[in-house]
Amino acid sequence: MLTIENIEVTYHHTVQALRGLSLEVPDGKIVTLLGTNGAGKTTTLKAASNLLALENGEIGEGRIAFKGQSIMTVQPDKLVQQGLFHVREGRRIFSEMTVEDNLVAASYALDERKAKADYEKIYDFFPRLKERRKQIAGYLSGGEQQMLAFGRAMIARPELILMDEPSLGLAPKVVEEIFDTIRRLNAEDGVSILLVEQNAGVAFSVADYGYIMESGQIVMEGDVDTLRNDKDIQSFYLGVGEGDERQSFRDVKHYKRRKRWLS
Amino acid sequence: MGQFVQFAINGVMAGAIYALIAVGIVSVYKATKVVNFAHGYLIMFGAYFYFTFSVIIPNQPWAPEWLLSWQPDWLVAQKADLPMFSPMGAVLDWVSNLPRIVLGLTGALIANAIVGRIIERVLMRPLMGQSVFAMIMVTVGLISIMSGTASLIWTADAANVPFLSPSAPVKFEAFGTTIFLLGTDLVNMVLALLMFAAIVAFVKFTKGGIAIRATAEDQSTAYSMGISVPKVFSRAWVLASTTGAIAGAILATRNGISPSLGLFGFSVLAIVLMGGLDSYVGVLIAAMTVGVLEAMTQWKLGGSWAEIVPYVAVLIVLIWRPHGLMGQKEVERI
Ligand SMILES: Nc1ncnc2c1ncn2[C@@H]1O[C@H](COP(=O)(O)OP(=O)(O)OP(=O)(O)O)[C@@H](O)[C@H]1O
Ligand SMILES: [Mg+2]
Repeated sequence: MLTIENIEVTYHHTVQALRGLSLEVPDGKIVTLLGTNGAGKTTTLKAASNLLALENGEIGEGRIAFKGQSIMTVQPDKLVQQGLFHVREGRRIFSEMTVEDNLVAASYALDERKAKADYEKIYDFFPRLKERRKQIAGYLSGGEQQMLAFGRAMIARPELILMDEPSLGLAPKVVEEIFDTIRRLNAEDGVSILLVEQNAGVAFSVADYGYIMESGQIVMEGDVDTLRNDKDIQSFYLGVGEGDERQSFRDVKHYKRRKRWLS
Repeated sequence: MGQFVQFAINGVMAGAIYALIAVGIVSVYKATKVVNFAHGYLIMFGAYFYFTFSVIIPNQPWAPEWLLSWQPDWLVAQKADLPMFSPMGAVLDWVSNLPRIVLGLTGALIANAIVGRIIERVLMRPLMGQSVFAMIMVTVGLISIMSGTASLIWTADAANVPFLSPSAPVKFEAFGTTIFLLGTDLVNMVLALLMFAAIVAFVKFTKGGIAIRATAEDQSTAYSMGISVPKVFSRAWVLASTTGAIAGAILATRNGISPSLGLFGFSVLAIVLMGGLDSYVGVLIAAMTVGVLEAMTQWKLGGSWAEIVPYVAVLIVLIWRPHGLMGQKEVERI
């Protein structure tokens, strides 16, 4: 579905955010991308949805293909017509518009296809949005806003959704609800998902495969079951075992390596 | 009281024109976050285009005679029967001018739309996503380019241009005084307000309007949702230049054409800041307020005060509310 090969990204021609990152999202799978703050997760998604140019970012080297075709020169509005939808970090709902108008805005994604927007489907998934459809979206609760962000993605009938930290700032119960929806969308409609998360626990609960990134590179990857049982990941991302402060995942390894060497 | 009504109406008529000019500044700001300092010069171009198509071209030797002055038999016959100074005479004169008025307006709309399109495509688009500040500076640079170009193209003295509608006087009694208005001013006001209303309704109630509002709020998210942001940009510029063409034509008939028309844009920019850069409603209120204030100071204090007092009011509003009467707080960032 999505293949990213060896991309390098710089912002403002100076700040290098990605250094030869590669990853793959197979058809119909949920893949998660984990990493600490500033690792470059959001940058990876923006590279795929071609939003970097708007922030003075640039892909230097590498290749990105969606459904087998290079998409590096396809403008964002055309990409979404092809079936790639990016749910951005911080939800980014249009807060001065009504819930309904937010969904209508997303229906632009269908303009060049024959499909019609199915608003009822979204309201079935999220009855709370239906009750509030005439309300200004800025007054929704955080959870409702995330549902709306998700609803906008569903309106666009994507084949691949890039999701940036959907659990951010939400209560565990709401997170549960959002992740149920992710699971359902994947199972029922076969939508592939690239899920960026800081919360490794919930990410592993839905994903098939995972990548761990650090300073613009992938440092580890594997099936979710393998990752879940990895000692380093347990201590750094899942908060199992020794909980002392470490700056990064690399430090964990480093520290372990040194320990091994010492003993 | 009658005097008051007379000046209030004059003020509202001027306010409507301000609003029509302001709509162009607000639309470009909403879509692109660019404050267009050169909007007055787009209006000046509109005025000169109207002059070109309604005066210069019809006066060319190769132009058909009916274009300059249409005199069908029935019109000549009717005119012969009229008494002197009859209002009907003004209407018939207007009918004679109709071909060149239509040509003038159509020509000005199309030519100005092309100018707006070129500015957006050549100067603004390449800067998209880089720096809004740079784009604003480009509009400042445009001022010199446009006023220079205008003085190169239109060397001839701008003669009188035809009124858009019959200039028959309208008189009626109110509060014991006779209120005196020009028909053409009334029509101009209605035209300006209708265009303003149409644009606001479009933005509020149509799907195209949702695209504009979404872009206004969050450009990149709108883009990633299938809304063609470049298209929204260029439409906003075309909207600004076409409303500017109509406003230019109206101003040309009211005050004549001169390079100082461009400066008029700055007064309107002040009005826009008072209303709130991104609020159509706020800007309408501000335009009407300044129009009426201007007329009232003219009445009570005389013409030279009329140029100062309204803008002192603008400053007071801005000190009290830095983002304008109804502007969004974020505007402060720029
Ligand atoms: N628009 C930008 N301009 C300049 N630098 C940027 C920009 N966006 C991101 N960066 C830099 O690129 C690096 C990666 O940022 P990115 O947002 O991709 O991280 P992230 O993994 O998503 O972090 P978080 O978990 O905090 O969201 C950071 O060092 C950041 O400072
Ligand atoms: Mg991020």
